[in-house]
Amino acid sequence: MTAIAAERYTGASIKRSEDPRILTGTGRYVDDIKLPGMLHAAFVRSPMAHARVLSVDVSAARALPGVVAVLTGAELEAMTVPGPDALMALMGWTGPTPEFTLLATDKVRLVGDPVAVVIAESRYIAEDGCELVEVEYDDLPPVVDAAFALDPGSPPLFANLGDNIARTHSRHEFGDVAGTFADSDRVVDCHIDVHRHQNVPMEGRACVASYDAGSGVMTMHAATQSVHVTRIAVAMRLGMEQDKVRVVAGDIGGSFGLKIGASREELAVAAASRHIGRPVKWVEDRGENLTASGQAREESFDVRAAVSHDGDLLGLDVKMVVDTGAYPGMGAMVPDIMEAMLPGPYKLAALGFESTGAITNKATYVAYRGPWASETFVRERVLDLIAKDLGLDPVEIRLRNVAPRTDPPAVMVTGRPLAGVTSKESLERVAELVDFPAFRRRQAEARAQGRYLGIGVATFIEAAPGPRAPEGPSGPMGMESMRLQLTEDGIVALFTGQMPHGQSHQTTLAQIAADEFGVPFEQVRVVVGDSDVVPFGLTGGSRSATMTGGVALHGARQLKAKVLDFAAHLMEASAQDLLITDGNVWVRGDPASAIAVTEVAQRAASGHFGADVDATLEVEATFDGGEGGWSGGTHCAIVDVDAETGIVKVERYVAVEDCGALINPAVVEGQIRGGVAQGIGAVLLERSAYGEDGTFQSATFMDYLMPTACDVPRIEIEHLETVPLDADVNFRGVGEGGMIVAPPTIVNAVEDALSPFGVRIHEQHLPPARILELIAEADPGQRLGPTALVD
Amino acid sequence: MADITLRVNGATRTGSPEARKTLADFLRDDLSLTGTHVGCEHGVCGACTVIVDGRAVRSCLMLAVQAAGSEVTTVEGLAPDGGHGGHGGHEGLGPLQQAMWDSHSFQCGFCTPGFVMQATAFLGDHPDASEQQIREALSGNICRCTGYQSIIDGVLLAAQRNRQEATGNA
Amino acid sequence: MKLPVVEYEAPTTVAEAVGLLAEHGDEASVLAGGQSLIPLLALRLARPEVLIDINGIDELAGVSAANGHVAIGAMTREYVAEESGTVADTLPLLAAALPLIGHEAIRSRGTIGGSLAHADPAAELPAVARALDAEFVVRGPSGTRVIPAAQWFEGYLTTSRRPDELLAEVRFPAARPDTGVSFEEVARRHGDFAIVGLAASLVLSGGVISDARLAFAGVSDVPVRAAAAEDLLAGERPSAELFDEAARRATTDLDPPADLHGSSDYRKTVAAAVVRRGLRAAADNARERQ
Repeated sequence: MTAIAAERYTGASIKRSEDPRILTGTGRYVDDIKLPGMLHAAFVRSPMAHARVLSVDVSAARALPGVVAVLTGAELEAMTVPGPDALMALMGWTGPTPEFTLLATDKVRLVGDPVAVVIAESRYIAEDGCELVEVEYDDLPPVVDAAFALDPGSPPLFANLGDNIARTHSRHEFGDVAGTFADSDRVVDCHIDVHRHQNVPMEGRACVASYDAGSGVMTMHAATQSVHVTRIAVAMRLGMEQDKVRVVAGDIGGSFGLKIGASREELAVAAASRHIGRPVKWVEDRGENLTASGQAREESFDVRAAVSHDGDLLGLDVKMVVDTGAYPGMGAMVPDIMEAMLPGPYKLAALGFESTGAITNKATYVAYRGPWASETFVRERVLDLIAKDLGLDPVEIRLRNVAPRTDPPAVMVTGRPLAGVTSKESLERVAELVDFPAFRRRQAEARAQGRYLGIGVATFIEAAPGPRAPEGPSGPMGMESMRLQLTEDGIVALFTGQMPHGQSHQTTLAQIAADEFGVPFEQVRVVVGDSDVVPFGLTGGSRSATMTGGVALHGARQLKAKVLDFAAHLMEASAQDLLITDGNVWVRGDPASAIAVTEVAQRAASGHFGADVDATLEVEATFDGGEGGWSGGTHCAIVDVDAETGIVKVERYVAVEDCGALINPAVVEGQIRGGVAQGIGAVLLERSAYGEDGTFQSATFMDYLMPTACDVPRIEIEHLETVPLDADVNFRGVGEGGMIVAPPTIVNAVEDALSPFGVRIHEQHLPPARILELIAEADPGQRLGPTALVD
Repeated sequence: MADITLRVNGATRTGSPEARKTLADFLRDDLSLTGTHVGCEHGVCGACTVIVDGRAVRSCLMLAVQAAGSEVTTVEGLAPDGGHGGHGGHEGLGPLQQAMWDSHSFQCGFCTPGFVMQATAFLGDHPDASEQQIREALSGNICRCTGYQSIIDGVLLAAQRNRQEATGNA
Repeated sequence: MKLPVVEYEAPTTVAEAVGLLAEHGDEASVLAGGQSLIPLLALRLARPEVLIDINGIDELAGVSAANGHVAIGAMTREYVAEESGTVADTLPLLAAALPLIGHEAIRSRGTIGGSLAHADPAAELPAVARALDAEFVVRGPSGTRVIPAAQWFEGYLTTSRRPDELLAEVRFPAARPDTGVSFEEVARRHGDFAIVGLAASLVLSGGVISDARLAFAGVSDVPVRAAAAEDLLAGERPSAELFDEAARRATTDLDPPADLHGSSDYRKTVAAAVVRRGLRAAADNARERQ
């Protein structure tokens, strides 16, 4: 498979280097940081969803002992540079661009919109100060659902836009849509909703901004997925030169897409630090995190499917509306990815896709683990709905529709080749692992006793990073950089812009480099988290296994070559006769010749060599992803639905997956299980709920319910043998897959459990009350909603 | 403000916290024991779990002044022999922590100290707990990264090793 | 979510506590276990001027049985009651309910009195107290009052304790022999407050039910006795049909609140299921205990 020099670590569940500090409470998260003179920030936040701000009176707050400063939105505008959201700019957004101030000035646009910031000696006092700030609001009609937002009569949230369109309507067609639908045996119509839910990392957003007037340097201690993107965002907004901003990050308590760039609050805190001349810490509390940090997934889909009598899914025509919330974020960009991914690993011949984005008085739609995941939800739901109509079983219909693996590979109707995709194998393996006939017998027996068991499957692929694009890597996300150095102490140091927040990069990248270079695992150090030191990078998009694993592999190889060239001089041998194993350099066939890598490093650092000897044992490596590849698989869930109370238990969960070559199986499995847990949470427990007037109803953990150890079963994971595409780098990403495919897996299982009632499910959130409603609403004679039969 | 004296990780500590200051904040800010994490401040997530007078408690739901005269153990205080007292550090991994390391129990680490303390308290009282009992005992601690299985495995492994060592020493 | 400024008192005797309550009245909150009050303070939903911390009043803790009653001091920790042999032997309904309260760490600090004085209608202990007709002993400046459970719970988070009174003790009748109990609860997750819960106790003697006591959690702003269902069950033999009818009678007149977890109708439907299951479990428990 992957050709690594000495596969001692790669592929093994090496214990994590992160764990000794994690397990002993000696990790360093932002809230653990204490700087001399440090102050604490708290934000005054709007209790209204939509209102004009008539006045902000901070005098009482300023007078409170212990309060050092109170900055209003207007004051912050004066000390910052207006501009578009940095992340949107980085990603090249050219659609509607709302103009707004860093903190709210003339109006507030969601419950929790920050209006002023109080800086005090302690967070306790800062919150006391917030209560003393008096804001006069003038109510405006709230825009709380996308339908109203898209109505030209809705009050525009942003004056410069004049309407509430976050993303202008567009339609694209791939293949012959009209023809495919005209020629199909039937057309199936349905509407599918995905509900609003959110990242909820255990550590919220947090930063310590420390401006040093003497040097003019702003140091941000951040919780971020990229120190460089945060640096760019801070520099832009504060009108500072890029190299005057330094972002450092230690341990980060999860993110799942939330902590990218810098939020409005973090920028305000940076500006405040510069203004006051002292470090300022802001750690959002759980209420802020749930209310204002951002939410995701609120999308609705009108779906038409062109189907043959035998269950071929010939074409899809999808109209999507995404509720992007109040301020700009990833929501407006997500339809593009969804459109590209909708066909999945199937033989879909035609796709019509249109989308609109709506601005509403709710939290901003931010990236949440697999932001495009609803494409899998819609597709896998529709396949099941079709299967039920035609009396096909869920594995059967997928096997029928999955594209066979050919050479050259089949190409998705949206353009990407399905190189190396093992969806068929994953479906077959699931069918082996889960005895469907035995389950059906058990299901029938249970039904006779009034118990409702159900089984569901769903298949997905994700571009982790995706197959090699003909036009090559593009933009800052395309190419991965790494600096590798053999330090004076003989340590192989990897400097990467990756910013792990649970991904275990300090372990996995060291495994690869140790194997490739030839030193023990303990002799490799992965350096992250300082924008002055590491090259550009971002952890996200399930790219790091391939991109960073690949650059570590190739970089280690390049560094080794350099080291051997140098060692050749020391050992008076030819570089091609030298090996490095176990931390020693030696001449092939002559073990007695061995000298420690450490010694080679010391000699390089301390000796004087002629111009023809390169003793700088350092390389700057880049990697474009090689042949890239897809990750994917099939998941299967068995659920037990209590039809009297609506409570659903996940009895069994099986994940058959292909993420290429595994660097560290325990790390891979952890990522999958965490994603599946979030999927279970999304379906059964989690909803970011708003009232009709825009009040936020899920601002505590009593209302926003997180899955616990009693909600997530043992998840059986099987890794498929992968199809290698690249000579060296066949690691593929796995970070987002669990969260992408688990929701349809669970929903499919619940619908199967409730099929005796004739239930058909067109939504993702199934709390107990909804289960009972679905049972009550179902008419056993009815099938897939309005169905247009086309002859 | 009241002057309080308490024992934390085997050492006598004093402070003058405001009455409204939680034990969690007192440990973190006044005593610089930042191993105890704050995840929700309303007693649901369990990240702040410490052991007070032998019982696991949510330190965000206690006032610091209420801990006067008590014995408090935080994650930093789990000694290599698994008892309470001593100081943490990379050499100082107790048997539960070691088993969790071996089991890849955690990812981002933010929930970890709460789980370690809750599991320590639970295993102390229920050394032969079943998986289901362990799941229920830990269902008041929220982890967003792992899906819990690896954490449960770590606890089961620790319990199994404790039993093996006990029979070995018998 | 930091607590607001508040004065703090830590009396060491009941008399001292009552004195402070008399002084501050409804500007004071009593701090017992803190598992309900501290979150309210952190959310700044509760804004007392003074916290009267009664954790230092040793005389308020303890479980003692005498004359067919069990007196539980208000400061008795939930975990202590859970581990109490006296409770296990004489108050099986309380013993059944205690493990359902939150999680172990909550029960490390939470108290019997605190939970009952807080009176969350979705909590387990109010339903138990209502089912067993517990008596609430309050101490005030003018002396001691004993308030039966039917009069203790007045409204949402509201009891008939006057601002200058301290709940000192709760008295439960010891269970008769032949008693079977259950606490049946439907909750979103293990340890959550009940969507609907039922504290059920009945005597099963010679196969015939008597002294049926059913109290709901989560169907109103207070725990609710299902009196009509109790009347139906008296003198009857357990059967699925009987329990179905009991469920109908218990829920017909309910008008539960709607919230994020479900509509009023949803709670009624769940309440009926909980009655059927709870009665089955209580009858089984009675047979097991015989």
